Amino acid sequence: MSAPLLSVGDLHISFGGVRVLQGVNLAVDRLEIRGLIGPNGAGKTTLLNAICGMYRPRQGSIQLDGASIVGRKPSDIAQLGLGRTFQTSQLFKGMTVLENLMTGLHRQTVTGFLSAGFCLRRGRDEEMRTEEEARRALHFVGMSDFADRPATALSFGQQRVVEIARTLIGDPRIVLLDEPAVGLSINRLTELDALLRRIRDQKGVTLILIEHVIRLVMDVCDRVTVLSSGRVIADGAPDTVRNDQAVIEAYLGKELRARHSAS
Amino acid sequence: MPFGRRNVLLALLAIGAIVPAFANGYQLFVCNLVAIYILLAIGLNILVGYAGQLAFANAAMFGIGAYATGLLQVHLGWPFWAAFPSGGLIAAAVGTLLALPALRMSGLYLALSTLAFAQATQWVFLHWENVTFGAGGFKTPHLSFAPLPVDKSVGLYYLSIVLVVLLYLFGRHVVTSRIGRAFVAVRDSEVAAESLGIDLLRYKALAFGISGFYAGVAGGLYSALLNFVAPEGYDLFQMIIQKSTIVVGGMGSIAGSVIGASIIILVLELLREVKGMQEIAFGALLVGFVLFMRGGLIAVLRRYVRGWEEPLRMTPRDQAQALAQPEARPSAADK
Repeated sequence: MSAPLLSVGDLHISFGGVRVLQGVNLAVDRLEIRGLIGPNGAGKTTLLNAICGMYRPRQGSIQLDGASIVGRKPSDIAQLGLGRTFQTSQLFKGMTVLENLMTGLHRQTVTGFLSAGFCLRRGRDEEMRTEEEARRALHFVGMSDFADRPATALSFGQQRVVEIARTLIGDPRIVLLDEPAVGLSINRLTELDALLRRIRDQKGVTLILIEHVIRLVMDVCDRVTVLSSGRVIADGAPDTVRNDQAVIEAYLGKELRARHSAS
Repeated sequence: MPFGRRNVLLALLAIGAIVPAFANGYQLFVCNLVAIYILLAIGLNILVGYAGQLAFANAAMFGIGAYATGLLQVHLGWPFWAAFPSGGLIAAAVGTLLALPALRMSGLYLALSTLAFAQATQWVFLHWENVTFGAGGFKTPHLSFAPLPVDKSVGLYYLSIVLVVLLYLFGRHVVTSRIGRAFVAVRDSEVAAESLGIDLLRYKALAFGISGFYAGVAGGLYSALLNFVAPEGYDLFQMIIQKSTIVVGGMGSIAGSVIGASIIILVLELLREVKGMQEIAFGALLVGFVLFMRGGLIAVLRRYVRGWEEPLRMTPRDQAQALAQPEARPSAADK
């Protein structure tokens, strides 16, 4: 196997005196779907934000495809092909669904403000290609009928899906998903499961998934990393992790673990 | 869509074009003022309404354009036709630099820091007397449109109208492109914009620069209209007038800027007759809009009249035009 697409080495992050991440290591291979789980406050979202460039680590390395991305601006890291979605919907509220998707193509397009303002043909052609591509991407996630709806008129689950599509359309190599299943019904969950697989298989995108819906994680992930109190306490195939004593202890506490293993 | 945006604005333009034929000097002056405020409102709306940067420096940019245009003529002996575009570019450059504080601040803090900048420019206008002639201001050289057979006021009016049309179209095209969508993205969610590769500094600077350019051009025209430049034309009340044009017209709408600017200036001039009424009526208007019509007049038009919506992408009509030009379409053989 070749070198990992994303590797994090000995990452430390503190806010004030609170040490949120204490030496996290993570290596994600190409075309993997990696689950990232752990109790509340374990530092999952912090890790994700650090990878995206929103926080500057105190110590440690982050490499995307062999190149260090520590200290670079979030927009530069996105340009390198790292996409993400957020825990709460971050769709652009003043736009329609289609326009949100078109914005996702920002890094793939080049029209400057002068060619846009003077309506040069280059810009108009690119604009039409952008719209076509956005419509195709909406079709891919089965949301074509909602193209002209305002982003705010969608249900919670629909907003999630549009956000994923908006990230995917920019053709990223790796996407970090922060709790995509929050508040989804069982039916929607099955759809999401299938969608994630399709994203990996058809688009060739590597995925990292923070999720509390354990069913989804165990089902769809190739490998699961468990964080607790800023440290990696387990890393392996879903079944191995599920039965790991340290993991059960982190989720349930020592006493319950005793009862859990007794039963 | 007989009362759609395009038709109504074209009708207004047609009326605007024949104003000099029947208007007296004062009426022509007011119409010219409307044109200048339309430019100001479009620029400010791109910055505040689209890019979401609550900045209070537009009156200062307006002043910088006016001072630069006037002073380049007075001190360096430049002709108006060189000084005027330079004034626009200088205001654009200063505006771009103002984006630096905007990278770290937003909302009220940005409002306060840009307000401080505006007060600083007032201070420079007032106290750098060797250059700016201080509180008394200065007269600008007489503007001539020779060899065109028009006098100054008519010539300046038509110049303003042409610039309004050009900069209206420029603004519309910018906001319906990936640039405009990047502005709205920065406004609606900075973290999401960054995650899509949109560089915050770059797009804030661009929005500040564009709005600075519009204000600078308006300032140049204003200096020529009054033949006079003095600090009090570019103070806080000026800023409030400009802000109210976009509140009344509608944030995030280029067409709304045109409507808002026209209405505010006409109301202000009509109320000039009644001493003391100006401030009262003006205040009431603002409070009324903030309380009852948050989206401005454009929101009402969009709701009740077809053809006023302003999507953030090319309209089907633009697309049809682009496709009608055969060379614009990649042929089947290319694919």
